[in-house]
Amino acid sequence: MTALTLLAADPDKFTPPTPQELFELAPIAGIGWLTKPVLLAILSSIIVIAFCWSAFSKPKLVPRGIQNVAEIGYTFVRDQVARPFLGKDADRWMGLLLTLFFLIWVWNLMGVVPVLQFPVASHIAFPAILALTIYVLKIYLGIKHQGAIGYFKNMMFPPGVPKAMYILLSPLEFASNMILAPFTHAVRLFANMFAGHMLLAFFSLVGFWFLFEQLTPLGAPIGVLGVVMTIVFTALELLIQFLQAFLFAMLAAMYIGGALHPEH
Amino acid sequence: MSEQERRPEDDGRDFADAAWSVPSYLLAGMAIYGGIGWLLDRWLGTSAFFLIGIVLGTVLAGYLCYRKFGR
Amino acid sequence: MIKAATLLAAQEGEYNPLLPHAYELVIGTLAFAVVAFVLIKVLTPRIQKTLAERTEAIEGGIRRAEEAQAEAQALQQQYREQLAEARQEAARLREEAREQAAQLKAELREEAQAEARRIIEAAHAQIEADRQQAFAQLRTEIGRLSTELAGRIVGESLEDEARQRRTIDRFLDELEASSQQAVR
Repeated sequence: MTALTLLAADPDKFTPPTPQELFELAPIAGIGWLTKPVLLAILSSIIVIAFCWSAFSKPKLVPRGIQNVAEIGYTFVRDQVARPFLGKDADRWMGLLLTLFFLIWVWNLMGVVPVLQFPVASHIAFPAILALTIYVLKIYLGIKHQGAIGYFKNMMFPPGVPKAMYILLSPLEFASNMILAPFTHAVRLFANMFAGHMLLAFFSLVGFWFLFEQLTPLGAPIGVLGVVMTIVFTALELLIQFLQAFLFAMLAAMYIGGALHPEH
Repeated sequence: MSEQERRPEDDGRDFADAAWSVPSYLLAGMAIYGGIGWLLDRWLGTSAFFLIGIVLGTVLAGYLCYRKFGR
Repeated sequence: MIKAATLLAAQEGEYNPLLPHAYELVIGTLAFAVVAFVLIKVLTPRIQKTLAERTEAIEGGIRRAEEAQAEAQALQQQYREQLAEARQEAARLREEAREQAAQLKAELREEAQAEARRIIEAAHAQIEADRQQAFAQLRTEIGRLSTELAGRIVGESLEDEARQRRTIDRFLDELEASSQQAVR
């Protein structure tokens, strides 16, 4: 960090963007809590509600326009996320899973929308809220459907293991299910968006720096490479954004399914 | 879920279950047993238990995954 | 804890991306809750209802099509049966007509033959009667002629009528017997 700070002091040298620069953003209009991610989170909610409302508020038997597009999303979540993990309970949880999938995807897409260019989920608070909600829901459903003792017994004492091994394995099951699961659930999404944003910012800064700020015959090819890599990584990022939204919803369905029915 | 209730999509479910649970178990194994080893090291002033704990945790997690998803 | 961590981060002047801001937690919760409420309570039930109706409509359409097809097939089957029945009936009628015609022909022929026989018999009878009549006339004539002839020959000697008649009769019987032999 100190080396970077020293480099930053020299205005003629290229300095890669630091996480602090990229993710600690100044409040807008002097209001302490009104930062870019907060604004984008609110905007994302409005977008998701507006999109889904225009598609599903008065659904037609023969879909047209936005309803058609939104139904593709619906059937994707239903067939790829809900049904594999929830089976006949799929329909009851479709609302929640749709919310997760659409909201996270829009959050992530904010990372590549020109001008806005900030993935909401790269601030840990937002994925953490979702993961925590699913975590609480998972435990509540587990206790409701399997009983408090039954839930933890099913979780910590999987069948098919010699009795003596439970001493060693039960803590492992507990840690995996109760501590690591919600943590990785949130962090997987967060880390992907964080790293993706860092990479995009880095490559676009390389392009900007070597082509506009300090244009030199030697630096120009590097700048071009930076621009090319920005484009390539934007395409990759689009894929990852969708994938992470899908994975988050899928893991949520998996946790809910596991709570409704004990593992076999 | 009992055996006779199994449907074709259960296979996909099992696969996803395994794919997402295995890393989680490995991580948990290393963290718990590595942590215990680290505490033992601090308490006894040794330096071997941390490594032993990590290896033990990994092996246990692997064994658990084998038992749960291996067949 | 969050406050302490933020303070710690602020003191060190370093950014720790794993520490959430409290205000982001609040805004994130609200943003998520509002979307979740609208989607779970309002929109998902609506689209699920529509999808169920669509499935129903499609399955209903298929069922109706199947019913129509079955009906058409039943109808076709019925037509075929009726057609076969009609053909059979026509064949039966034709056969019957042919039989009747044959019977009629046979009857007519028999009648005609009977008529012919009757006519022939009548003709035979007429001829016989004619012959009898002619024969009777001839006999009277012959009798008269013979009497006249005999009277001329014998003269008035044979005036005795009784004797005359007897002689004639005897003569005639003999004549008849000889003529019958000749006819045969």
